[in-house]
Amino acid sequence: MIEIKNVTKKYGNKKAVDNVSFTVNDGDIFAFIGHNGAGKTTLIKSIVGIHDFDEGDILIDGMSIKEKPVECKKLMAFVPDNPETYEHMKAIDYINFICDMYDVDTETREKNIKKYAKLFDMEDKLNDTIDSYSHGMKQKAVLISALAHDPKILIMDEPFVGLDPKAVFDIKEVLNEMVKENKIVFYSTHILDVAEKLCSRVAIIKKGELVKSGSMKEIKGDKSLENVFMELEG
Amino acid sequence: MKKLISLIRACMTSDMNLFKIRTKKDKKSNGSSLAIVLAFFFMFAIWSNANILFEKMAPMHLQPVVLALFVFGTSVMVLIEGIYKTGPLIFNCKDDQLLLSLPIKRRTVLFVRIFKFYVFELLFNALFIIPIVIAYNRWGENVGWTFYLTSLVMLFILPIIPIILSCIIGALTSSLSSRFKFKNAAQIITSMIMLLGVLYLSMNLDRIFDYVARHASSINDLITKIYYPAGLYSTLATNFNATSLIIFVLVNIVIYIISIYILSLFYFKINSRLKNVSTSTHVSIDKLKIKSNTKNRSLIKKELNTFFKTPVFIINAGFGMVLFLVMAIALCLKADDFLVALRIVFDKEVILKNLSMIVFMLIAFTAFMTSITNSVISLEGKNINILKSLPVKTKTILMSKIYSSLLLTTPVILLGDIILFVKFNINIVEALLLVVLSILLPLASHFIGIIVNLIYPKLDAENSAEVVKQSTSSFLSVMIGMMLLIGTFAINMGMIGKIDPKILLLMVTGVFIVIDTILYIILVSYGVKKFNKLSV
Repeated sequence: MIEIKNVTKKYGNKKAVDNVSFTVNDGDIFAFIGHNGAGKTTLIKSIVGIHDFDEGDILIDGMSIKEKPVECKKLMAFVPDNPETYEHMKAIDYINFICDMYDVDTETREKNIKKYAKLFDMEDKLNDTIDSYSHGMKQKAVLISALAHDPKILIMDEPFVGLDPKAVFDIKEVLNEMVKENKIVFYSTHILDVAEKLCSRVAIIKKGELVKSGSMKEIKGDKSLENVFMELEG
Repeated sequence: MKKLISLIRACMTSDMNLFKIRTKKDKKSNGSSLAIVLAFFFMFAIWSNANILFEKMAPMHLQPVVLALFVFGTSVMVLIEGIYKTGPLIFNCKDDQLLLSLPIKRRTVLFVRIFKFYVFELLFNALFIIPIVIAYNRWGENVGWTFYLTSLVMLFILPIIPIILSCIIGALTSSLSSRFKFKNAAQIITSMIMLLGVLYLSMNLDRIFDYVARHASSINDLITKIYYPAGLYSTLATNFNATSLIIFVLVNIVIYIISIYILSLFYFKINSRLKNVSTSTHVSIDKLKIKSNTKNRSLIKKELNTFFKTPVFIINAGFGMVLFLVMAIALCLKADDFLVALRIVFDKEVILKNLSMIVFMLIAFTAFMTSITNSVISLEGKNINILKSLPVKTKTILMSKIYSSLLLTTPVILLGDIILFVKFNINIVEALLLVVLSILLPLASHFIGIIVNLIYPKLDAENSAEVVKQSTSSFLSVMIGMMLLIGTFAINMGMIGKIDPKILLLMVTGVFIVIDTILYIILVSYGVKKFNKLSV
């Protein structure tokens, strides 16, 4: 479970995230929606321990990310919006590096790397250096590295940007599979129709403040998620 | 013209924060203030040294020769600096795609690149020329407005020839390396050869001077024959001639324009070849090595990978180590000449008893002048987010950077040690202490580098040269290294002959154990906090 409790993050005097609270339960696929600059990435980076925050707390399975960062991070995998990787590394070395950081044994990593490489059509491309990849291939390499250590919580920032339709379809399959195993998927997106179909719960953030949060049904009612979002933005 | 000015403005803003309007003081401006203070300190040191030289030359009325010598020396340094920078500043720039897609002539892009390079070298040049002008004002004869006018013109014109030479050497090395599959390795090797060549020429200037002296009637003629602008400066300082100055300026501008024109014929071909990333033949996943490692080992492997895949980083750090080996070998071959030269300061007996201290000085020189870690944080760039999201203690991440740097420096220093131990027949106790110091001294240098880099990180750099050669962090850590080196030298020079070398080495070992311990504590407390606050 992820518990966001009254989190505030400031950049100078400006509040990028202002007193935000919500909970993500086990088995949720949670969509985090907001316009550009609303504070989505800031909050995501706070959850995964990249950013400090000024007030409140974030609990991962009951542990505070401030107090037990290493233990919390062990449960999570993070896929950033722009696939930030060590470009000079071969993809397989990068994936092995991430697995080493999560203490993944050889057998598990071999099984998972093969599984996801096959799924994302990267089986014969992992020996190339990442700087030779297209944006989508980099995203796939980061996804493989994130999934290779069987995370309990998968956190993604705009995961579908730059991916081909087959890869988007495959990711959706992976996310559904994770939810069946009672894992958590938390991601930010601008693709509202995908979020509407895929996610069980949603939170909408505007200018750093949480404006709506709840189950997909509660939030959208009879309308489409796009309509709800546009009404809130308007 | 409007487009050109906008382009220059955009490029300079991204690289140097020039023309940037700031509404309030921020951390970066604090770093800049410190860099300015250190620049003044550096200029003061140059001014002091110039005064000493002027004082010696004044009785012979040869003050203008000092001007020529400094201009010559500065130009050599601008050239060496330039060779390091051409790769990332002229070729392989991150904004290539953006600039080349704009409706502007490709030659304009190259002009802007070289202009940016010129501004960097102009600032470097000013660090030397301004103190010399101030010192000459005191020692020169009949110093008038024409001298200041000449100096001002020279300040702006002198960097042109060295940067054009650097660009040509850079183009040659890049052109050569772009033909190979392993471009980075080829670039490192060719740059090293070029640097060692320039260094060899600089070290053998006395012989070159001797040769030219036989063909020159005076010292002024001699310098003019070696490097015309240097000689012209000293001549114009005493006998101002507006025509000569105007011709000199025009010649340099013409050289600049012609060079840009000629370079532009090859530049884009070389650049696109450098950008071709070689992809290996597709290998099936079943044949790939999937193996687990410990966190420490994996982090060190990653650091070494970054080091060996960043040419400017490896040239910068590797040059000091190669130099140490070259010095060790040169000392073996010319030990007698060196020992004779040392007799100016010490008695023969003292020298023979303290040979281990000579080795120690060399280790200190290499350790403090080879700062690998001063850019290891900045080089992470946006990848710092990967490290920060991993379930690894910050201390482990930072220490992995120290271990990997030690792995790079220690074997080379130990190899040099062995050569010198054998040559100078160093006894076992002193040899053991020197081996320990070969680890302790670089360790201190690495700790200082990473701490300074954590205080002044540059995670948004356009290229690796910007962090390795031009950042506040690299400047500060080199200055701190120089101060430590001067301090270590001064203390040891004072002690040599008065204390048994074994005792002296033991004392130095003790001092550096304490220094390393203090620096370690700073890194794992203050450094960890600084790392955790970094964000992109």
